Amino acid sequence: MSYRNEQSRRAFLSLCLKGGCSVAALTSLQLQAISGSLSSQPINDYKALVCIFLHGGSDSLNMLVPLTGEHRTHYEQSRQNLVVTDAQALNTRTIYEGGVGLHPSMTSLSSIFDAGNLGFVGGVGTLITPTTLSEYQNKTVPLPNHLFSHNDQQATWMHGQEKVSLNTGWGARMLERLNQHSSFTSNISLAGANPWQAGIETTPYALNKSGIMKINALTGYQPQVDHVKSIMDRLLSAKTTPLQDAYASRLANSVNNVQNMNTLLEQAPILTTQFSDNSLSEQLAAVAKSLSISGQTGNKRQIFFVSLGGFDTHDDQAVRQPALLSTLATALTEFNNALTELSLQNSVTTFTMSDFGRTLSSNGDGTDHGWASNQLIMGGAVNGQDLHGAMLSQQVGNSIDVGGGRLIPQYSNEQYFAPIAKWFGLNDTEISDIFPNLGNFDATTLNLFK
Amino acid sequence: MKMRLLTLLAALILSACGGGGGSANSTGTSPDNQSSSSTTPSENNNNENSDTDTQSNDELDTQDQSATNDQGSAEDISTSPVVDIRVPSEVVRKGSVITIDSVVRGSTEGLTYTWTQTSGPAVTLSGANSASLTITLPSASSINKDSYTFSLTVTDSTGTSTYTETTLESVNAMSELQASALMQQATLGATYSEIQAASGLSEEEWLNQQIALDPTLHTPLLENYPDRDNPNHINRIDAWWKASLNAPDQLRQRVAFALSEIFVISDANTSLRGEPEGMVAYYDMLLKHAFGNFRTLLESVTLSPAMGVYLSHLGNEKANVERNIRPDENYAREVMQLFTIGLNALNLDGTLKLDTDGKSIATYSQKEVAGFAKVFTGWTFAYSARWDRPSRNYTLPMHAFSAYHSMEPKELLNGEVIPAETGPHESMQLALDNLFSHSNVAPFISKQLIQRLVKSNPTPAYVARVATVFNDNGLGIRGDLGAVVKAILLDEEARKFSQVQLHSGKIKEPILTKVHLWRVLNARSELNRYYTWNLSTTYGQGPLLSPSVFNFFRPDHTPNELQTLELIAPELQIATDSNMVATINGHYGDLVWRMAERKTTLNPNTVYMFAQDDIAMLANNGLQSLLDYYDLVYFAGTMTDITRTALVDLDSYFVNKDEAQRVAQLLYMISLSPDFNYQN
Repeated sequence: MSYRNEQSRRAFLSLCLKGGCSVAALTSLQLQAISGSLSSQPINDYKALVCIFLHGGSDSLNMLVPLTGEHRTHYEQSRQNLVVTDAQALNTRTIYEGGVGLHPSMTSLSSIFDAGNLGFVGGVGTLITPTTLSEYQNKTVPLPNHLFSHNDQQATWMHGQEKVSLNTGWGARMLERLNQHSSFTSNISLAGANPWQAGIETTPYALNKSGIMKINALTGYQPQVDHVKSIMDRLLSAKTTPLQDAYASRLANSVNNVQNMNTLLEQAPILTTQFSDNSLSEQLAAVAKSLSISGQTGNKRQIFFVSLGGFDTHDDQAVRQPALLSTLATALTEFNNALTELSLQNSVTTFTMSDFGRTLSSNGDGTDHGWASNQLIMGGAVNGQDLHGAMLSQQVGNSIDVGGGRLIPQYSNEQYFAPIAKWFGLNDTEISDIFPNLGNFDATTLNLFK
Repeated sequence: MKMRLLTLLAALILSACGGGGGSANSTGTSPDNQSSSSTTPSENNNNENSDTDTQSNDELDTQDQSATNDQGSAEDISTSPVVDIRVPSEVVRKGSVITIDSVVRGSTEGLTYTWTQTSGPAVTLSGANSASLTITLPSASSINKDSYTFSLTVTDSTGTSTYTETTLESVNAMSELQASALMQQATLGATYSEIQAASGLSEEEWLNQQIALDPTLHTPLLENYPDRDNPNHINRIDAWWKASLNAPDQLRQRVAFALSEIFVISDANTSLRGEPEGMVAYYDMLLKHAFGNFRTLLESVTLSPAMGVYLSHLGNEKANVERNIRPDENYAREVMQLFTIGLNALNLDGTLKLDTDGKSIATYSQKEVAGFAKVFTGWTFAYSARWDRPSRNYTLPMHAFSAYHSMEPKELLNGEVIPAETGPHESMQLALDNLFSHSNVAPFISKQLIQRLVKSNPTPAYVARVATVFNDNGLGIRGDLGAVVKAILLDEEARKFSQVQLHSGKIKEPILTKVHLWRVLNARSELNRYYTWNLSTTYGQGPLLSPSVFNFFRPDHTPNELQTLELIAPELQIATDSNMVATINGHYGDLVWRMAERKTTLNPNTVYMFAQDDIAMLANNGLQSLLDYYDLVYFAGTMTDITRTALVDLDSYFVNKDEAQRVAQLLYMISLSPDFNYQN
């Protein structure tokens, strides 16, 4: 295979990685030669972001709990039968009155925390501008639309902005700003379509968590496969109505992308790190596998999306939350091991988002939709072993409680996203562009990275 | 005015008595004659005829003396011809050729005949000057019936004439293609014999037939897992398949499936996984109320124990200050956001109401959520002796324990407050009445049902027409879902007789493409088991398998490709790479690997496709005939030339293989084609 010039070679490779042709024809050496050929900006290092979305609204104020003193008393008064006992004291660099206790189901994370590769962000949530209780009550400041509603708040977190007509996710916006979205492998979801990865020019490639996915009709006797594929391509390239065209182009891309991804994944090394068989671990195992071939894909930046559902603990929280947090901690620990094995610990940052925090008050055996939350961020680049932001006082009826223990966030989620975007390579102007409300806050106050 | 009333009355009587073909009817039409001849001048002989016409009517129909006498009686004694008109039937089919006969008492010697059309869509009169008139009625150009009036003037050799009129109505007779198109929207995928049976009927007749059928419930189809004493999760899926594939009440099954995607419960990764009877009972409840009243449906959903567990209002108790607990808000919030009114105030046509700043208006706030949360306290499983650790009956509506119900005032929508000390039943009734009376319900539910059945992007006018029927079915009843379903399916935007619509149709739900293929190909296993274990991972969806109460996809999902056109395509939310490839692999497995005719032995547990009719058609009639058949059954006539040519070219590779393999390959390519996956 020869190319007349660099431009046509790049165009061809770009076409392949967008799914327009088969990379099956390329040797692994040629695939490796793709590295570095696609980025138009002088990005030389490799970085990846992994978003773990905790669907349903994690009661993350019950993930980090006060241990002593007045804060503990308030917490116990608020939480009643949902109080977490036996929380593990965290040696946070920042000292908080009453201490910071990690939910006992997550103690497997403590070694990562103590090694400085895991941190928390406290008191964060959707905000348009800093908001006090009286401003909330008197409606003198703009508020996020449809607070406490699952899908709306999920979208607000993932869009990194309020609803606009042509909305995009902040993950996709970062890739596009950095011009790192030309390959479909730059934007991978293990949890289907989601707003975070939906951009103008990029949509997530939905990887099956088992990785390689044979296409039955395109497996077997090659002349037949070629014939069937040619007919399939013809059917899927015909232009008719917009909805049909959308279906057709998606299926055409899916078939090509799956085939190309199979070719890449067939070269993936076998990791010695073991992953559990829960859904989140399986998804992160697939992310690890994808990361192991990042050299072949030529990406300098990648974003991954995984999710764990079941956090909408309106009932049976005392049983359900420990199981969920345990799954999360196990999967994170395994993923961290895999990153260490791949020597990618410093290049990959993993962080959580969720619909919202939950009420401090109980509905008997569960909690309802709240607002402020705590989040978790992991990676070698992370300014770990600390709680950034605020350790909110968990007192129903306190000065930031809009009712029932729904606490007003003290940090906006865009303040949380900004340092992540900065680490990913965006400059300050680009960051202000992609987070429209960030200007209402101090963008530099959360020092999430070393 | 009075004459008009009489005319209408007569028409009503006629249509009520109508139906028998070939009956003479001019006696019944005499009031019509009267009014028509006096208000609609005919081209010729009008002046001469009016009196004799009256005369003839008097003689024919003594009961109408009062109506006819005031036209004057000067010629009472004349001997004008006594004429009757015989039509084949009062209700005839559009597009048919009909003959209208004159029936003259006595001799026809020397009579002359003049037929004219006095109302209705213009038709060509054949034999306008003979004893019988033959007309070809125009074929269907709308869903509405056409009404015609024809007059006959019979003049004898003395110049004395008689004027008579008759009215008839023509209704649609669906072609097979039209029946197939309707049934794409209104069934889980019609078979050829179902299409044949529906063709010849009007759309409304078919809908009425479907609505009148008894529900095929799923509970009787729920079997125990082999060698167990109880059904398993897979047995409720099996029951769904058996009903979906075989039930004659296909419209009801389709509407219930649509309702299951609005009033979502799920046993995917929830505690309901262990309650197949409860899940099936919930589906049966949707089936029973599919054409009932929305208010009744809403109450049945609310009191369903499966829903109670899913959205945690079962066991929800009143506030307890000592324990610092307050009522669970889960159901309170979702019953508003998802089951009745949605987040934003809507106009009748489903568009957003805007405030003076041009912003949308929230329908409720936390205050109402808290109020409704109090309403849904005190409910648990039926006939449980205890509140704590209740006995668990998943098939009967929940019962209330008043002691656990909040007796505080409860704030509802629009400022309504349930007063303190109101018990659980009354509170529930008042709260559901409050929701049901909200002006959002009609557009909110109507639009979603349109999207599930007909199209993703209905015009606001379409939504408004259906919502109007939701608000009043014409008899003053609100929430008549049968009327709503008919309004949806009989609307011009669904039937598309006249205008070309830019954004008609929808992407089919992947699971429904599978059901369609399975129905047409008579999918079955020897042991009559449909154990489809991996529906969610293969098709991205399955019955009552949503990942959350927000369904598999959102009704306002705009995929990336359609953002600039601002088009909605909810089903594409699950059209991810892995789902799409898994779906076409699923079809390949069914159609290519599990076609019975390609097997030498059949595994008794495995579901096979049976394509012997297709194979015979290919062998005996050739490829083009088979493609014509597929165009009818799978595409409702919308197979594009590109697809047809591609299928022909596909077959060219396999033409030397056996017919079974050729059919399998054709069906597989159809299953992934853009036109099959699009419901036009």
